[in-house]
Amino acid sequence: MDGEMMTGNLAAAWGARLADVDYVPAFPITPQTEIVETLSSWCGNGTLNARFVTLDSEHSMMTAAGAAAATGARVFTATSSQGLLHAFEVLYTVAGWRVPLVLVNVSRALASPITLEPDHNDVLAARDSGFLQIHAETCQEVVDSILMAYRIAEDPRVCLPVMVNLDGFYLSFTREPVIVPDPEQVQRFLPPFRPTHLGFKASAPHALGTAVLGGSTYSYFRHQIHLASMNALHVHEEAAVEFERLCGRRYDVVEGYRLEDAEDVLVMTNAFASKGKGAVDVARAEGRRVGLLRLRMIRPWPADAIRHALQGRRAVAVLDQNLSPGQGGILFQEIAACLYHEALRPQALCSFIGGLGGKNLSDGEFQSIFEQTAEAGVRGKGIGPVLLYTEAEHREMVQLQDIAADVRTS
Amino acid sequence: MIRAVRFHGRGGQGAKTASRILGTAAFIEGFVAQDSPIYGAERRGAPVAAFTRIAKEPIRERGLIACPDLVVIADASLIHDPAAHALDGIDDRTAVFVNSPLTGEQFQALASLPGRLTTMDLTDIALQQFGKRGAISALLGAVAGRLVGLRQESICEAIARELADLGLAASVIERTQTVAAQCYEAVQMVALDTSSREPAAPVQLRAPTYEPPTRGTARITAGPNSAIRSMAGWRTFRPVLRPDLCNGCWLCFAYCPEGVISMNKDDRPVIDYAHCKGCQICVHECPTEALVAEREKEGAVAWTAK
Repeated sequence: MDGEMMTGNLAAAWGARLADVDYVPAFPITPQTEIVETLSSWCGNGTLNARFVTLDSEHSMMTAAGAAAATGARVFTATSSQGLLHAFEVLYTVAGWRVPLVLVNVSRALASPITLEPDHNDVLAARDSGFLQIHAETCQEVVDSILMAYRIAEDPRVCLPVMVNLDGFYLSFTREPVIVPDPEQVQRFLPPFRPTHLGFKASAPHALGTAVLGGSTYSYFRHQIHLASMNALHVHEEAAVEFERLCGRRYDVVEGYRLEDAEDVLVMTNAFASKGKGAVDVARAEGRRVGLLRLRMIRPWPADAIRHALQGRRAVAVLDQNLSPGQGGILFQEIAACLYHEALRPQALCSFIGGLGGKNLSDGEFQSIFEQTAEAGVRGKGIGPVLLYTEAEHREMVQLQDIAADVRTS
Repeated sequence: MIRAVRFHGRGGQGAKTASRILGTAAFIEGFVAQDSPIYGAERRGAPVAAFTRIAKEPIRERGLIACPDLVVIADASLIHDPAAHALDGIDDRTAVFVNSPLTGEQFQALASLPGRLTTMDLTDIALQQFGKRGAISALLGAVAGRLVGLRQESICEAIARELADLGLAASVIERTQTVAAQCYEAVQMVALDTSSREPAAPVQLRAPTYEPPTRGTARITAGPNSAIRSMAGWRTFRPVLRPDLCNGCWLCFAYCPEGVISMNKDDRPVIDYAHCKGCQICVHECPTEALVAEREKEGAVAWTAK
């Protein structure tokens, strides 16, 4: 077996190391901490020639990251969950500065109630910030995506920060074989960062994100961010071709799994997509013609690739590992919107909500998704949002509630 | 072909490192491996699980192992802790290793576990050989490696890599390898049945309905946050009072992080053993050595800490 056993967190640190970053502002939070701990030790022992600074909060951390990137430094930082939310104001701000830094988010469900395990309400809350978003399924994809992220971010057609997402626990603390890309190949893939519009330095006054009262200038600049983001679809394609040429692995904005003759398609993101693929194999062995579409790039939204993959299917199920209270699954809405004008749109769209707070998705739940989706396809009418919550889990929850009630009344 | 091994332990016992030793050993032998732990807020004594998968093809599974081929239980007190889910998915084909001084037959008679049981007292071996309880990760890894059919040399190499990663000295690693090899040799084998299981049928879903906030919000309305749940199983050592040495200074009461020590009218501490987690802070703080740590051992106190 090639490579070495590595957690997603260590793979993320390797991404920063191979990208030869200059500056790492940091603040710890489970399940991300191993990333900045590793970078701290590499900076400390000279393995990585970068400045590592621990800030007082994620808000300061993102401010420092944006400011450092504005001097022309290559910047890496990482956070998770509540930390990402604490940095929220600054996410929008630095995206407007058009600074191409890379932020790794290790997904963890949001409070409250509080937990440590993942879902995607944290990263998807940032979907309107102007950051590009790449969501990884494997530890290998984490390191590779960070390298691609720098190349895309620093492209003059883009110049936007990128968020690379990996699931807490299911990738962050999970070790699997990872091939560390060859540093010389990475150098070829990722030329030194030479931004034309940035360059804060001593005795050279320079202001970013200045006030633009009156809506027309504001509209112009915000629209520029939108266009830059849309450009990233094409730039990603170029980066993917070049990355494959140098490192032998190919990543597209979406990934199809056993789609060729699939009647029904399950749409997923992130680490649980591995389980989804396994479930597709099981369902196929039982004669169901199903496939899986994994969304890898969430911003910009790869509408054409999604339409291409989903057109003509009988039914599509979107498994959202997030919940927008009062609405339902976030990605379901976006999938539905981009299929509306498609003449050959699927006859049924089904929305499933699952894996909240890291809740396991059992083989039986996947089979239930395929069954319900097939029925919806035959009926020609979608369903949802359906919460994936089993009878057994329901029983256990009621038991816990009864125990708590006993304590209160005793 | 895939081997799925689930480890159960308590924070600090080394279940996570054991799962890594097993994963690394399998990887050394050319398998695709995947290992991962699951735990709550970091704390010693709380239930921890870890998972190692070993296959020849890329692994399309993640996280929880619902139907393990082998379950390794580092702490027998977890078996009856419903929060640990140690027995989930075990059937008569599953191999189960329990770290216990009882033999497999004795244990079976006591606990009537499903699965094919084998035991060994790794805690005692660790205490005898290393003088501390935390050192069983390599022993658990060695036992698991033997039971799933990995080679002793790969286990030893994996122990070296993983313990070096944790910053242990070469001499300690070497000693650990020797003891682990002895455990590898000594563990009583049980057959693994990894023939493929029936594919899962669709499960019945049941989404909760709306309930009033008294039930539908996460909150605690009692003083102890786990009044009816015993934490006694978290302990390896229990603090025990030698009343004649107590000077009634209340320091143990002040330092107890769990608030499980109360003082009686004679200024002597009373310990709530159902909620004491055995951290030993009271033992360390006691200026007169009136509190001592005694080893918990399946009911009877059999070993007294220095």
